[in-house]
Amino acid sequence: MKDSLVLLGRVPAHPDSRCWFLAWNPAGTLLASCGGDRRIRIWGTEGDSWICKSVLSEGHQRTVRKVAWSPCGNYLASASFDATTCIWKKNQDDFECVTTLEGHENEVKSVAWAPSGNLLATCSRDKSVWVWEVDEEDEYECVSVLNSHTQDVKHVVWHPSQELLASASYDDTVKLYREEEDDWVCCATLEGHESTVWSLAFDPSGQRLASCSDDRTVRIWRQYLPGNEQGVACSGSDPSWKCICTLSGFHSRTIYDIAWCQLTGALATACGDDAIRVFQEDPNSDPQQPTFSLTAHLHQAHSQDVNCVAWNPKEPGLLASCSDDGEVAFWKYQRPEGL
Amino acid sequence: AGSQDIFDAIVMADERFHGEGYREGYEEGSSLGVMEGRQHGTLHGAKIGSEIGCYQGFAFAWKCLLHSCTTEKDSRKMKVLESLIGMIQKFPYDDPTYDKLHEDLDKIRGKFKQFCSLLNVQPDFKISAEGSGLSF
Repeated sequence: MKDSLVLLGRVPAHPDSRCWFLAWNPAGTLLASCGGDRRIRIWGTEGDSWICKSVLSEGHQRTVRKVAWSPCGNYLASASFDATTCIWKKNQDDFECVTTLEGHENEVKSVAWAPSGNLLATCSRDKSVWVWEVDEEDEYECVSVLNSHTQDVKHVVWHPSQELLASASYDDTVKLYREEEDDWVCCATLEGHESTVWSLAFDPSGQRLASCSDDRTVRIWRQYLPGNEQGVACSGSDPSWKCICTLSGFHSRTIYDIAWCQLTGALATACGDDAIRVFQEDPNSDPQQPTFSLTAHLHQAHSQDVNCVAWNPKEPGLLASCSDDGEVAFWKYQRPEGL
Repeated sequence: AGSQDIFDAIVMADERFHGEGYREGYEEGSSLGVMEGRQHGTLHGAKIGSEIGCYQGFAFAWKCLLHSCTTEKDSRKMKVLESLIGMIQKFPYDDPTYDKLHEDLDKIRGKFKQFCSLLNVQPDFKISAEGSGLSF
């Protein structure tokens, strides 16, 4: 397990500040980072080293908490504690803020584009999740305000192929939403975590969802369609989600982020104990009760809390991470032999 | 046997007065509780009523303003507005025990916010006074 995660490079992305989140563009050529310095930086390679291609500094008055690329790769959305979400349009190496989405009462915690690129979701400390529709003229229209959570909403993520939205909250639950007659409705609540759910990641098929929490566990949830062979009860025509695996005992502090590699199926976690861990599903494990093994564990990946892990969408095993220490690190993950 | 009854009455007095006291106290407590509950309910119900009343006034005013607008965008606004008015009209004002009262109220609040976002207006009345706290 010793050499399964190798450091490729490290950059002081947001010096004297926290680096909160990372996002690879769909082509896997650029990495966006955001931080407490209210800035967004765009990173690309030159030779073997990672260099800063652009700095997006005008736009937000407070911490930029999360960033997300549109599926076409031409737009970047940024969620900020200043209660706004900015949409940046890419033009070569330049980025221009084309729209500012207002409406949340306070800190926007996360932003995510639907796979079609026509819908955007944001969530906030004001306990609400907003769904926005984008038209051909780059205009954004709010199509729903969802008040299903009872506390701060930490993260939103879309299903990889369907218009199904998931949100994680300080109320210890995960909620799923779908469209119904011109509005959006909460169609499932995933209960089981004993503390704040910080992040979510779908597997490549979208049949399973991983969640990570302040309770130091990772949970894997599986979708069961009505009339499933396993006899999992569903209400009406909505699928039911059941926790089929809990990874406990591996993390010693809050797990802030989880990333499910769409190419290799490897599951990486970012933890408050400064470590990065990678898990892989055991071959031949029962799909109804899968087991996962820890295949990489890097104790001092960063000098402070690790806030985010992100798999490159094109290069298998290339992982980026960022931390409260303001740095971004790049890693090469190799699945250990014999697994 | 007669003298035995007297002693019994003395011995049992403690229990009897305890029972009577409990009954009297219970009755008084009940009536006080009803009053307190009534006051609380009146206050809470009035808050919800005035909040929804604000939305209703806002919605009807905009219905008049949007009446003559006929672009595609306006028709979308109108659709959301009709949906908001529908939700306000369906709200069970007479049934405080309705189990989805707060769920429905949250849906009305969401629809109202969506409508404000579509109009690009910020209402000048404050909906909920929430204290700010630490946030991560």
